[in-house]
Amino acid sequence: MKASSKILLLMFLVLLISFSITAQHAHDASYSVETIETPKGLTAQTGGIDFMPDGRLVACFMRGEVMTYNPATKQWKLFARGLSYPLGILAVNNTEVVVMQTPNLVRLKDTNNDGEADAYENETSDFGISGNYHEFNYGPARDKDGNLYIALNCASSGGGIRSIVRGELNTNGREGMDGRRQMFSVVPYRGWVLQLTRDGKLHPFASGFRSPNGIGFDLNNNLFVTDNQSDWVPTSSLYHVRKDKFYGHPASLVWRKEWKDRDPFNAPLEELDRIRTRAAVLFPQGIMASSPSQPIADVTNGKFGPFAGQLFIGEINRDRIVRVMLEKVDGEFQGACVPFLDGHGLRAGNNRLAFAPDGSLWVGQISFGGWPGTSGIQRIVYKGAPPMDIQKMSLTTTGFDLTFTQPVEQTSAADVKNYKIRAYRYEYKKKDINEGIDVANQFDVHDVNVTSSKISEGGKKISLQIQNLKPGFIYELTLGDIKSNDGGPIANRLICYTLNKLRTLNNQ
Amino acid sequence: MIVDLKRLQTLLFVLCIISLQCKRNNSNGPVSISIKALDGLKFDKVRFNVKPGSKVSLTFENVSDMPHNMVITSPGAREKVVSAGLQLEGKGPEMNFIPAMDEVLWSIPVLSPGQSKSINFVAPSETGVYPYVCTYPGHGFTMFGEMHVTMDEDSAQEEKNDSAANKPKISENPHPYPLTPPYLYHVFIDGATPASIAVALPNQISYCWDAGTCSLRFAWKGDFLDMSDIWEGHFDASAKILGDIFFTDNTAFPIRLNPGSNPGVKYKGYRLVDRYPEFHYQVDGVDVYELITSKADSLGLVREFRIPNANKPVWYYVNADDAMKYEFSAGAFDKNKLKLSAAEAKKFTVTMTSYHLAYKMKD
Repeated sequence: MKASSKILLLMFLVLLISFSITAQHAHDASYSVETIETPKGLTAQTGGIDFMPDGRLVACFMRGEVMTYNPATKQWKLFARGLSYPLGILAVNNTEVVVMQTPNLVRLKDTNNDGEADAYENETSDFGISGNYHEFNYGPARDKDGNLYIALNCASSGGGIRSIVRGELNTNGREGMDGRRQMFSVVPYRGWVLQLTRDGKLHPFASGFRSPNGIGFDLNNNLFVTDNQSDWVPTSSLYHVRKDKFYGHPASLVWRKEWKDRDPFNAPLEELDRIRTRAAVLFPQGIMASSPSQPIADVTNGKFGPFAGQLFIGEINRDRIVRVMLEKVDGEFQGACVPFLDGHGLRAGNNRLAFAPDGSLWVGQISFGGWPGTSGIQRIVYKGAPPMDIQKMSLTTTGFDLTFTQPVEQTSAADVKNYKIRAYRYEYKKKDINEGIDVANQFDVHDVNVTSSKISEGGKKISLQIQNLKPGFIYELTLGDIKSNDGGPIANRLICYTLNKLRTLNNQ
Repeated sequence: MIVDLKRLQTLLFVLCIISLQCKRNNSNGPVSISIKALDGLKFDKVRFNVKPGSKVSLTFENVSDMPHNMVITSPGAREKVVSAGLQLEGKGPEMNFIPAMDEVLWSIPVLSPGQSKSINFVAPSETGVYPYVCTYPGHGFTMFGEMHVTMDEDSAQEEKNDSAANKPKISENPHPYPLTPPYLYHVFIDGATPASIAVALPNQISYCWDAGTCSLRFAWKGDFLDMSDIWEGHFDASAKILGDIFFTDNTAFPIRLNPGSNPGVKYKGYRLVDRYPEFHYQVDGVDVYELITSKADSLGLVREFRIPNANKPVWYYVNADDAMKYEFSAGAFDKNKLKLSAAEAKKFTVTMTSYHLAYKMKD
């Protein structure tokens, strides 16, 4: 090898390394990740986190502990124990929390002010348990009127049911013939979101969920639930959940009166497809998220950066927090998802999110059974320097508008070659018996041409023109070498828009 | 002549290669290595050995319930390859989450559960530790092993991923506090609904109170529970009793406010009284409180009931034929049932002594 080519290679390597460093560290000035030390002897498989009004964190863990943590003194204190897989917590006040565990939604009260709960009141247990190991329960999320919402996981095809169950048994909810891969619902309201009104009554609210390990409200009292990819959920989803709607997984249908005596797994696909409500956002499997968890709205009004009002969603499978931006098209929510933070010391297993009073985002992490990740708690702190990132992606009648947090450098932004778009869809169907549970096939994958990119609003907005936008597709946009006006890199280059409905001149 | 010499050289070279191959095949042949992907994000082997330059036939079989690939990397490059795999983003699925880079030496694409695939390769001539890893998103953090390229005949040929050996069973003290009875767990346990509560009492006595039926199901003597399967998230896990059951309730329901009919019950929760749970439930709409302790002689249970709003007689049924001695603080006992006046029912105690435990104690 000649000396000159060696030098060239070296230069290329240095360039490559420096590029990857800047790409990875684009967020460094904006966000940092800190690990919270958990008490000795605690297996910190975090099922829920929230903040009490006095600023203490309250967290619950899979082995049944509920503990408080004072961020000022860094002291942990036991609040309650003995619970079964507590997977959600809501702080009511400084002495009271509500926890969702396997058998019930339980209200824990410290009535003698010694810092430990002494009353474990049953809020509701009006749902069934078959004893299948996967019948996890999630929530509660609270609406503005004080009603609570919980979500019940279906049972796993990998396990059975116990000889003594709680609740009515309906075996129509479990497919007999070739149901090896189908999650099932043989006791009431598995695969449902339920509403607990303030009179203590539990109401079936919405059906069609598979593994809804994430439930939360946006700032405008809209309920959102995530569901995990596999049978009938071709890729993980975010649903805008409304009363009496059905979201696609058929097992839960047996608890609707008109389906009581039917086999929902073998109902005509066209019928199931017709009655289901589409996801507001799809997370492409293995690309954006494979196991999304709790959605939380940015309530910080800027204390956590320039994304106030948007949703953050944990990802269990890797070191990522996803950000979701929604808009209404023809009366329905749809929108885009983008990796908010990858790496930077963040671990995998991101299961629960809560904003602290100081505006930092706390992340409860879990590794349990075969789930990838680390158990523990971390917090993400906004350092005050706004990131260069896509603030918003919205559909127009002719393409997409991208709004950035800072002005872009105009030459690169005007070059249409810097916008690579692929479109594809996922097919709603019963999973083939031989198809692996994590397989998510994309259909009709094709490249999409951007015909022009127009810059406006002082360089903050880019309007992309695209011919032939099609509903029912995910538009996956990868940005090329676009920089901010002062030369800084973009924090994330990947963004996926779920296009359910076209923007028309009538629904603008 | 020149041409002929070249031909001869080529011939000699080919012969050399063939003889070398033959020698290799005769002496040790291609080494067959079989690796399985198991549930819980792991390979069945965390290490295997091959000799430098040896022919390797590697078979990868996915017997887990998730998809996995297998990538062998150059020494020290595992984390770099895993991280590059995650950067593939949209291209990930079509590339089997295997990044195109020099550090990836050999790879087997994503296999669905039940699939297997073999590849052949010649082991590197340089000795060293060559990691293998599944780069499916999320898996690379925990699912990896090492291919040792070594001349060393004596070192272990392979090492199984023995989770029992690598991971100790749930330890004596599985919580950030000492476990001193009384304490409880909500559990799945045989012989009761999945809404059960198991309580460890002092004196080596434990009981299962079923919040699904609002009743004491059974009690046992010995150690408390093995919670390992539940905490490790095993399929169909339940808590295992570490003792001998000395009492099982066979009545339809012990407390009756309206004789004859099966009562309607509703679970309300419990409060901790000196760390003992006092269960609260309703029988036909009337509040009942029940607190259970162990007898000081460790031969049975003491059940303290409160029905503060009782306004008519209450019956308390016991098993017809169990080997228990019943003592009551109030009421009239006749033919397996106790009748309490409304005033007596406001607070009464049932003491249960196991003849079996008492007999064993005499031994």
